[in-house]
Amino acid sequence: MKPGKRLILFYLPGTVLYLALFVYPTLTGLYYSITDWDGLSPSYRYVGADNYARLAEDIVFRKSFANNLKFMLAVVLVQTAVSLALALQLTKKNKRTVALRALFFVPTVLSSVSVGFIWTFIYDPSLGALNGLLEKLGLGALTQNWLGDMDLAIFSVAAVQAWAHIGQMIVLYVAGLQAIPRELLEAARLDGGTRGQVFRKVTWPLLAPAAAIVVSYTTIQSFKAFDLVFTMTGGGPAYSTEILSTFIYGAAFTNGTFGFASAASVVFLALISLITYLQFRLLRADRVSY
Amino acid sequence: MRYKSKLVTLLVAATALTAALSACGSASSNGNSANGGAPNDASPSVSAGSSSEAPSSSAPSGEKATISFIHWRGEDAKAFDAIIGKFERENPNITVETQVFPSDQYQSTAQAKLADGSVGDVFASFPGAQFASIAKAGLYADLSGAAFLSNFLPSLIEAGQRDGKQLAVPYQLVYNIPIYNADIFAKYGLEPPKDWNGFLAAAEKLKSEGLVPIAFPGADIGPGQFMNPMVMNNAPDPDIFAKLEAGETKLTDEWWVKTLSQFKELNDKGYFQKDALGTKDQGAGALFAQGKAAILATGSYQLAQNKKNNPELNQKLLAPITVSEDQAVYEGIHTTTFMLGVNAKSKHPEEAKKFIEFLSRKDIAGEYANATGQNVTVKDVEYTSDELKTVAEWTDKKTRFQPRFTITNAEIQKAVTSSIQAVLGGNSPEQAAREAQAIVDQQIGK
Repeated sequence: MKPGKRLILFYLPGTVLYLALFVYPTLTGLYYSITDWDGLSPSYRYVGADNYARLAEDIVFRKSFANNLKFMLAVVLVQTAVSLALALQLTKKNKRTVALRALFFVPTVLSSVSVGFIWTFIYDPSLGALNGLLEKLGLGALTQNWLGDMDLAIFSVAAVQAWAHIGQMIVLYVAGLQAIPRELLEAARLDGGTRGQVFRKVTWPLLAPAAAIVVSYTTIQSFKAFDLVFTMTGGGPAYSTEILSTFIYGAAFTNGTFGFASAASVVFLALISLITYLQFRLLRADRVSY
Repeated sequence: MRYKSKLVTLLVAATALTAALSACGSASSNGNSANGGAPNDASPSVSAGSSSEAPSSSAPSGEKATISFIHWRGEDAKAFDAIIGKFERENPNITVETQVFPSDQYQSTAQAKLADGSVGDVFASFPGAQFASIAKAGLYADLSGAAFLSNFLPSLIEAGQRDGKQLAVPYQLVYNIPIYNADIFAKYGLEPPKDWNGFLAAAEKLKSEGLVPIAFPGADIGPGQFMNPMVMNNAPDPDIFAKLEAGETKLTDEWWVKTLSQFKELNDKGYFQKDALGTKDQGAGALFAQGKAAILATGSYQLAQNKKNNPELNQKLLAPITVSEDQAVYEGIHTTTFMLGVNAKSKHPEEAKKFIEFLSRKDIAGEYANATGQNVTVKDVEYTSDELKTVAEWTDKKTRFQPRFTITNAEIQKAVTSSIQAVLGGNSPEQAAREAQAIVDQQIGK
């Protein structure tokens, strides 16, 4: 055997795992999406594209999609901006910044179900810590029905999603910031650049690759969210926090319409693929060189 | 050469790992089905009663029979152990094996397990959608005419009837109507109101005394619980939701729009606690247990928990009457569940019926009720705790089976409860009803 051919064998285990654990379930899902299987009965019928046609009309699916977009935009904006602001303060290597970085990272380590329950209690309108704190600070006017207000609930959950992942993003930004050659920054300062100018003209362009990773990671991760919504609101009140993943879960496991849920999953997969593709295109266009 | 042998070793190891992983997958799925099929394999289940006997094929009298009992009440396992012990002493030829499955799993998989007749000679089932689908699959043996049926209160076992046959007997009894603090009511000279104006007046009085009239867990269980007494007299037809699912009535019709308007009225007048839509079960329960709220809009199953949180509480049940007194048809809502049935494919139907007969005796039912804190559908049971007695008073009243449980499509159920959240969130009743009906229309394909 030639060494080249022998190397092909190395692909085998990975390929087998990938085929068995990813490709096969995906194809099965695709297959069930053209049936009316209820997830239980041994028999089912082929319904062709019926599930997809129903999905296109489905009111709750549309609401879920709109909520998904709202959730994604809110998380991307908050998570990217806040973690950048914090990372800029935490780039220097000393005990204080390392300790703070570790502190900000803690929520990432917690299981998202615990995070959901913790924040459900914090958000409780009458017993919760958040409204209690606002009252104590004399900001009683700012207290909200965080998870019960139909216009606000999705953003309250988005804030928790951002809170839980900011630490991770800080690490990425800090790595990006530390990779910027110090000479460049010093030169810019010596030339009389203000802090704002140095950031805009030097730091930010050189940080673009890290920022691109943060944005793309955050987008995909927030689009796929499930656990926080599931534990905190269950999609309510009145569908105001229903997102695609909870919609699919409900269709499959509560309502026993597996075929329909499979169709929704296929659409979900297509949407995520599209977003990922678009982002990779943008990333490539955005790549900087010194 | 050495390079090559290393490569081969690595490859073999990797292949072995892959094989092991995939074997794992298939082994566990085999394990599940084997477990579903073999009554004597009690590995993942809670086994109660005496040790397993060899299965006897048929059971003429004198020969030993093992019957399988499946249900979802893990918390009642101890009480059932004791009762099964007594049953086996009385019937030395019968052994009962119990398997307990978590209730969410039970909802979805019980039917599949029952299908081949090897487990669940006696099995529990949920009313509504699960009962309907098991009945449709023909898995209930007909219990009509069995002598033990007379041990039950007739109105409380109707949920187990279909096409004139008694297919299952509900064992547990819950009233899905609000709990009120009887001491607070007495202090302000209030009686459970008999009509809608009286209900509003009582709430106004409580509010003026600085109390929360009604603690309402609007974020989770509240809408699904409180909708039942709110709708019972607005739509006295017991088949109203069956008609909704058949497209013969709409949520935009008067009965539901009126119900939504009354929800809105309670909310707008401040009779629910502030931000009711953001309040969960525990939060509302805490308001009530602390004496800050006079009424808790959930159901009798919460009596014991409230008592645990505040042993001083003096609790009773009341239902809002949403119409004038002369138009009121029902006084409250009951749910009868834990429906015991005999598997139509059981090899030991007589032994299985004997076990249900045993459970239906008033002393045995009483033992179960007092040990578990659950009221039962059996007649003349002596309850020991105040909470169980409070509930038992209601068996003489004219109550109706929980309407929400008669909705068999889960999406429609969600549309209905969501419309309640929508009016509390500020939508008009007409708009909320219209939006919910649009979802119903899609679900029923109209």
